Amino acid sequence: MTDIAAAPSRSRNVGFPAVLAVLGAAGCALPFLVQSPLLLTLMTQATINAVLATGVGFLLRQNGTVSFGHAAFFGLAAYATALLIKFGLPAELAIVLAVVLPTLLALLLGVVIVRITGVAFSMLTLAVAQAFHELFLKWRELANGDDGMAIAFPAKVFGLDIAIFQQPASMFLVCWLALVGVILGLWLLARSRFGTLTLAIRENEERARYIGYRTVLPRAIIYAISAAVCALGGLLFALYNGFVSPGTLHWSLSGEALIMAIIGGPRLIWGPALGGVIFFFIKNAAGDFTDHWPAVIGITLILVTVLLPRGVGGLLVWLGRRAGGGRGE
Amino acid sequence: MLINILNGLVYGGLLYILAVGLVLIFGLRRVVNFAHGSLFMVGGYVAFAVAAVSNFWLALVAAIVVLAVLGVILDRFVFRPLQHEDPIATVLVTFGLLLVLEDVVKTIWGKDFLSLAAPPLLAGTVSIAGETFPVYRLMVIAVAVLVALGLSLWLRFSRIGLYVRASSVDPVTTGMQGVDTDRVSAAVVAIGAGLAGLSGTIAAPLMALSPSMGSFILIDSFIVVVVGGLGSFTGAFIAALVIGQVHNFGIVYIPWAASMIPFLLMVAVLIWRPTGLAGGRA
Repeated sequence: MTDIAAAPSRSRNVGFPAVLAVLGAAGCALPFLVQSPLLLTLMTQATINAVLATGVGFLLRQNGTVSFGHAAFFGLAAYATALLIKFGLPAELAIVLAVVLPTLLALLLGVVIVRITGVAFSMLTLAVAQAFHELFLKWRELANGDDGMAIAFPAKVFGLDIAIFQQPASMFLVCWLALVGVILGLWLLARSRFGTLTLAIRENEERARYIGYRTVLPRAIIYAISAAVCALGGLLFALYNGFVSPGTLHWSLSGEALIMAIIGGPRLIWGPALGGVIFFFIKNAAGDFTDHWPAVIGITLILVTVLLPRGVGGLLVWLGRRAGGGRGE
Repeated sequence: MLINILNGLVYGGLLYILAVGLVLIFGLRRVVNFAHGSLFMVGGYVAFAVAAVSNFWLALVAAIVVLAVLGVILDRFVFRPLQHEDPIATVLVTFGLLLVLEDVVKTIWGKDFLSLAAPPLLAGTVSIAGETFPVYRLMVIAVAVLVALGLSLWLRFSRIGLYVRASSVDPVTTGMQGVDTDRVSAAVVAIGAGLAGLSGTIAAPLMALSPSMGSFILIDSFIVVVVGGLGSFTGAFIAALVIGQVHNFGIVYIPWAASMIPFLLMVAVLIWRPTGLAGGRA
């Protein structure tokens, strides 16, 4: 039934960590090869986007539900960093809490909203994101409304110079390693007993319940984990930009993250990240030629959904299998 | 106080007209049209264009007709081809349409706010409990009541209403009884889209026209539909009344947190009844 988020085959996953390690190492070499600061900036932003997309895609893969509201966790993490530092907490603690707090919020919220499945769930997630967006937009005393707020980072964070996080070459490394780490972590999680249980619940919740599993909590935990990944993306965004505005919470960012996941192929753990990178570079190329960027992504989304439901990642796997006569990556 | 309640009814009425279109489409196609807010917005702009060369009333009719035609096209080329796919596919495609429609409107009419004047016939105010209240707003409430009344009569007494009710309980069995669900669906989506056009037009004199005007009300109408119980007409009616009131109450008394109230209310209702007020099929 679920073509868009169909069950993965297990055999394909052999050797995945090795490939990931190679890609991870190759990515680390990039800042030394790429000289253009503009390109490095783009690569860093693309990687942060890829983290966000990975979170949204993981929810779609494990729970089979589409979230239009994950920018909420991305933006809340960025705002949490800014506000906690403003309230006088040590930057290190603020950074940790910036991921922990949105994750806890997602867990609480998840227990309520994952009981709603299918299309209704998507409608609710849109409402979630919008509520927080409006709150930060309208509550000017807290967060300066539309003007956004600068984040007062100290000179050193975790003993590292803050400049490391704000210069493209070094920040790309940080984001890249974070992305690779997230993908590896989610891959291990998806293979674990818990991962397969959530897939079983996704395929048939009633049956999973009849064989004695609780189904709400595992779904809520997946929701929280996917939110945590997006929060990590938001934290990276906050570190890199040193600034946060309500745009980070807006549902259009959630929509973009979802589109990245769909383009890349959400049935693969690494698909959405690929989609994020593709999306970001198309966006940049299209932005130079056309003002009609929203229509371009709208049409791309429609075409990919209808013609390529497994995304570019699915296409790559298929091509790899054909070329390699069975094994592909 | 009374004025606040009336203003809440105005917003609730607009929400109801929009939400009931979503409910109608969900009943037949089991999908939610994420472009519904854009249809609302397009309705407002069509009315604006027609009103520029004629009058409000002709603009209202034009917006409903144009949107109904758009609805038939939407059903034929989106909902029908995707009816055997995962509903997520339709959600994604209609989300893509939302982006395209907003961009098209932005290209034709620009990003700036436009305004559509209320018809001269309804331009005055009346005095209610010692305060003045625009006649036009009373008309919006009346239209919402008429839509609710008309729809429930239509669903209860017409043949096609019978088919709609049957299909929303079980589309497959209804099809086996010889009802052409595709034809019923085309009519129903046309009505749903036409109602979005109606809602967009009567909302236009109350709010500024902008390409993004659909997204805010779309989200509120989603809350209405989910709180009411997806697929329930009565639930949507009650939820729209309640959300209209709390929305207006929030804007008047706690503007900085106004958006949190419908959201928290929604969470509370879902804790209490996970399938919504009407407890239908979620």
